[in-house]
Amino acid sequence: MSLLVDLATPIAMGILLGGLYSIIALGLSLVFGVVKEINIAHGDFVILGSYFGYVAMTVIGIDPILSLIIGIPLFFGIGFAIQKYLLNRAFRISMDATLIIAFGISIILQNTYQLVWTALSRGLTTSYALESFSVGPIHVPLVYLLDLIVAIVVMFFLREFLRRTYLGMAIRAAAQDWKAAQLMGISTNRVYAVTFGIGTALAAIAGVFLGLTFPFTPVSGMPFLIIALGVVVLGGLGSIAGTLVAGMAFGLAQTLGGYFFGVTAQMLVAYMMVLVVLTVIPRGIFR
Amino acid sequence: MIGATVMLALFPMIGVPRVWLLYLFLFFIYLALANMWNLLAGYSGLISLCPAAFIGLAGYTMAILTWVGWPYYIGIILGGIVAAFFAALISVPVFRMKGIYFAIGTLVVPEILRYVFTLWAPVGKPVYGGGAGYMVKGVSEVSQAQIYWLAWAVGVASIFLMRYILRSKIGSGLAAIRDNDITAASAGVNVFKLKLYSFVISAFVTGLAGAIFYSLQGYIEPVSAFSVRWLIIIMLATVIGGEGTEEGPIMGTIIAVFLYFLLARYAEISLIIQGIILVAIMLLAPQGIMGFIRETRIYRSLVQ
Repeated sequence: MSLLVDLATPIAMGILLGGLYSIIALGLSLVFGVVKEINIAHGDFVILGSYFGYVAMTVIGIDPILSLIIGIPLFFGIGFAIQKYLLNRAFRISMDATLIIAFGISIILQNTYQLVWTALSRGLTTSYALESFSVGPIHVPLVYLLDLIVAIVVMFFLREFLRRTYLGMAIRAAAQDWKAAQLMGISTNRVYAVTFGIGTALAAIAGVFLGLTFPFTPVSGMPFLIIALGVVVLGGLGSIAGTLVAGMAFGLAQTLGGYFFGVTAQMLVAYMMVLVVLTVIPRGIFR
Repeated sequence: MIGATVMLALFPMIGVPRVWLLYLFLFFIYLALANMWNLLAGYSGLISLCPAAFIGLAGYTMAILTWVGWPYYIGIILGGIVAAFFAALISVPVFRMKGIYFAIGTLVVPEILRYVFTLWAPVGKPVYGGGAGYMVKGVSEVSQAQIYWLAWAVGVASIFLMRYILRSKIGSGLAAIRDNDITAASAGVNVFKLKLYSFVISAFVTGLAGAIFYSLQGYIEPVSAFSVRWLIIIMLATVIGGEGTEEGPIMGTIIAVFLYFLLARYAEISLIIQGIILVAIMLLAPQGIMGFIRETRIYRSLVQ
């Protein structure tokens, strides 16, 4: 019984953390599903979002969540330009080319963060970032709850956008069959650029909430990229609900791994789970 | 060509400056690594993101064996073997993934190993903290020339190995797979087996080169052993020279080593520059220097 009481907090935290992981994975999943390219730099764009919130908070003095009002369109523009001018050209060359270019972008971003913000660990320490609340035996930081709520809100909007708008339908059409979509008069290059832009804008949201939840450094992108890849594969491409469930599974793996094997091993547990997922269900559960 | 290679082997005996030897040492190591990465990415359709796993694993095997009293050169060979076995082992999960999924699977592997070697100290007491950094024992009295020759040997061997593989049955099978894997499979090419062969061979040589590198370095610790920087330099060397060409990695490695020492003065922005080079080459000349040369008229007139 006492084990259950002890476990209550890590379980609750894991589920809530799943919200954060699914926001991080959402942008990756969208780009993977539509453009069919793995954006190795996605983790670094997420960290760019964290630094954006950090600058908004420390330099301008506005709340990092509020800063997303500028952040989302700004990041959309960055992503749109990258796909339009770099990746759209690359993937006519080969699949390797997009991967290598994304890898190049990733190391450029990491080095830039190091130059501008140094290698020190940063965090978005707002007043509410430090608060926590209790329900019975469960003690959870407030931002964890915020992560899940935001994830659900973002997913709802993304789903409605993909279902109801013309652009959303064009994106879905291009994802299913880009040749047919092109024949129907959809400019796939534009759709890809918009999709990548949305993916990067989602990275901005993910980055701000990541910064509220965890401290981050210039190289924090990699661990979150790996977890997000695991989430994408487990959740299945194009399944928004699957992404949320898979995010929770990885959140639980991390918090329970931390509970049973110690804090230092918690990432190891999550990484092992990525490999296991790729081995056992390389095509995801929700298909 | 052969004369030049023999000359390079004689360098330590004729009193060439030590710095030069270090450059050449790195050239041979990177050459072997780039050749083996090219075998996977350029010829087998496997974008492997985990060379650091084989390098670190072999380096650790070598270092740990010197702690239990084995000579370092046996450690190097066993390091290569351990890397090859490890490749065969992880091929079970990563080969279930096609194309891009393979890249994802291999991306995770070095990260896992880094955690494992940070938490786990196989022999002796950790040098500091909980991490497992190890000195390579019994190498200080070995002359540096010996390790230089080992690097020379693995670098040169990797060139001949590539020549041999690409002209063997494996090579023609791989070419068939690259052109169309379904046609190749229906013509009786065992796609899985050939890819596994090239993955394991590549891991073995990558491991050898990594272990030789750490013999000279004399010290190994998890963060740099399993670092993504290995992948950056390997990718850079292969991509600059020309992925999927035999001569590409040789030319690319020469440039990459030059770049390495040029950029040492601008360490704080060196990754930005390397990243820009990667992006620019992939966009402007995806076949690298070799692809560029092959398009010129002089080359064509020479070949025909």
